[in-house]
Amino acid sequence: MKNFKKWTGIGLALALALTGSLAGCGNKAAVVDKENPAKGTESKEIFRTLDEIKEDGTINIGVFSDKNPFGYVDENGDYKGYDVYFADRLAEDLGVKVNYVSTEAANRIEYLQTGKVDMILANFTVTDERREEVDFASPYMNVALGVVSRNDNVVKSLDELGADDKIIVISGTTAETWLTRNYPDILLQKFDSYATAKEAFENGTGIAWANDNTEVIAFSLQNDGYTVGIPSLGSNDTIAPAVTKGNTTLLEWINEDMEKLGKEQFFRKDYEETLAGTYGDEYKDTLVVEGVQQ
Amino acid sequence: MPDLGLEVLFKGSNFIRLLGGLFTAVKISLVSIAVSIPLGILLGILMTRKNIAVRFFTKLYLEFIRIMPQLVLLFLVFFGTTRSMGWNLPGEGASMIVFVLWGTAEMGDLVRGALVSIPKHQYESSQALGFRRGQIYFYIILPQTLRRLMPLSINLITRMIKTTSLILMIGVVEVLKVGQQMIEANRMTSPNAAFGVFFVIFILYFIICWPFSAAAGKLEKKWS
Amino acid sequence: MPEHTVMNTKTPLWSKACSSKKQERGAAVDFTYIENVLPLYRRAAVLTVRLGMEGIFLAVITGLFCALVLYEKIPILRQIVTVYIEVSRNTPLLVQLFFIYYGLPKTGLALTPEVCGVAGLAFLGGGYMAEAFRSGLEGVENIQRESAYSLGMSRAQTMRYIVLPQAVSTSIPAFVANVIFLLKETSVFSAISLMDLMFTAKDLIGLYYKTTESLALLVVFYLMILLPVSIAGAVLERKVRYAGFGT
Repeated sequence: MKNFKKWTGIGLALALALTGSLAGCGNKAAVVDKENPAKGTESKEIFRTLDEIKEDGTINIGVFSDKNPFGYVDENGDYKGYDVYFADRLAEDLGVKVNYVSTEAANRIEYLQTGKVDMILANFTVTDERREEVDFASPYMNVALGVVSRNDNVVKSLDELGADDKIIVISGTTAETWLTRNYPDILLQKFDSYATAKEAFENGTGIAWANDNTEVIAFSLQNDGYTVGIPSLGSNDTIAPAVTKGNTTLLEWINEDMEKLGKEQFFRKDYEETLAGTYGDEYKDTLVVEGVQQ
Repeated sequence: MPDLGLEVLFKGSNFIRLLGGLFTAVKISLVSIAVSIPLGILLGILMTRKNIAVRFFTKLYLEFIRIMPQLVLLFLVFFGTTRSMGWNLPGEGASMIVFVLWGTAEMGDLVRGALVSIPKHQYESSQALGFRRGQIYFYIILPQTLRRLMPLSINLITRMIKTTSLILMIGVVEVLKVGQQMIEANRMTSPNAAFGVFFVIFILYFIICWPFSAAAGKLEKKWS
Repeated sequence: MPEHTVMNTKTPLWSKACSSKKQERGAAVDFTYIENVLPLYRRAAVLTVRLGMEGIFLAVITGLFCALVLYEKIPILRQIVTVYIEVSRNTPLLVQLFFIYYGLPKTGLALTPEVCGVAGLAFLGGGYMAEAFRSGLEGVENIQRESAYSLGMSRAQTMRYIVLPQAVSTSIPAFVANVIFLLKETSVFSAISLMDLMFTAKDLIGLYYKTTESLALLVVFYLMILLPVSIAGAVLERKVRYAGFGT
């Protein structure tokens, strides 16, 4: 192992040279040259402006396809859920068709930065770190973290965990970040999608599952045998649409449209259509955020 | 009979959707192989050249593509190209690029192997007969290598179809993802759907791949 | 707001990894980040290699068993083995793993991700190894067996001293190719939540958004694992080429 560092260094230099042409240029392409046109790079903007989207007639929106009841695919193959209901309306107001791109939690920023989608509406929690990478519009939902466990062994506090107890998290979520930071000693069993995490949790993996509290509450309501032992953890955050950093035309339009939607209490209606079936009316006022400017 | 969650497949348009997902995967591999074969033949011919620079770069390309797991290549192309070149590649496009890069490398190596197995005097006699270089390859050498190449390239098709299952990981909605969505949509009514759905996908892949490898095996026996 | 004070107590890795965050965007490679995540990659590489070796070891045993069954034409077992080889070679590892890890627990058979990964690799690899060994065994001409018998050697002796040594050396190229193939296939372990190299890179991209560095490290570590194997394989192939009889 003594030579490990040296070899890694040599190997790294080689690989950077090799991958240089592919990935080596780093974030350059994602940076907008609007503020600094003198730089004169020929790399064109990675995102599409509002006008370009309108001209094309289709907007690409990244949503979850396995996070019931926020973004999922029903048995006819149609995207449904709280996020999707909102996305449909945005596309309608914009006068374009919508193309849903299925995304995983860890890919959301990447998808925006590489222009694979115009907008992310995948239950995306606003955090300071993420704000440095993408631009968030006005919030439309409240969220904190929560922990759900099986009825026969309810986890009520993270400090009571045994040394071998594993908590399921999904890679790229705020729950992962928060636990990594605040409870570095807790063993995490990481999954790359909601679908796989839930399947494994049902199959008996892990002692608990940490995620957005909205999602774990929904899970415990939809499935028998689960209790949310820790209903609120971490800071109280909001969820908002996100666009590629610097895509101001699209961002401003979304904010304007959301202001209009707030006046007609659109998100309360969204809740009734998509979430009331799971939550009842109980969480309407705590979950929905309406007409709040960013 | 225990509940194996098979009923999910017959709900709504589920089974058709599953087949649609499989079609996405198979389509990507068939298009890629169709592009890879001519490119691979070119690469194979290039690799038999004596020019040191050509040999070095073709060898480097071949070894790099072969040594990297396909999943890593998919990630490099899917996320890397946009960042460095500004291409806005959807998952399907990125998968096709990777499969063509990989297929060309594999095919190139097969062609090279077949070409060097053709005795040198064949080239020399053709030259003596006044054929140009292009003509020699097209009329004399390639037809002879076809026999050797056929079973091997059919095997490559099987490998490609199998490898398309990886495109799930770069967000392409293919058969596994469709399966996951079905399981998710029916979690409450069919808690055991994961067994039935994944089992059926397993069988579907076998039904698609097996005829190809059986054909390759037959040809190999017949022509060897 | 007590939550916010909690948010600010950072673990060393986190704070170090973020310390260079203020750096100019698009600037060159972030070496502080690379140094900080190296231990994670090293751990992932160890896992990749360990599970890969375990899987390959079991695959070799399975493959050897299947090849012998086919070679000795043992009834019934032979049919089972044939079906197994076809199934394992004609289905993707990812689908096999999904079925084993997410599907099988529904029937009461729940395995840990590590066991699933190794089992999946052995299942897939067994078929490939069987084919490699079978063609090696079949490459030994019948006349050699017959001569051995006429010299008074038993069946087992013939196998041990005459057939196997030659079969092994002729199946080395296919064997080496399979080892590399199986090591590469471990990259799909990420789908069943094993923290291998692939998942580590993906996870770090999701946590710290440093795509370039994470992907470059991924490539380096796979090269460090696979390049030596590939070179050793080439050397081995060259060595045993002289060991064959009559060719």
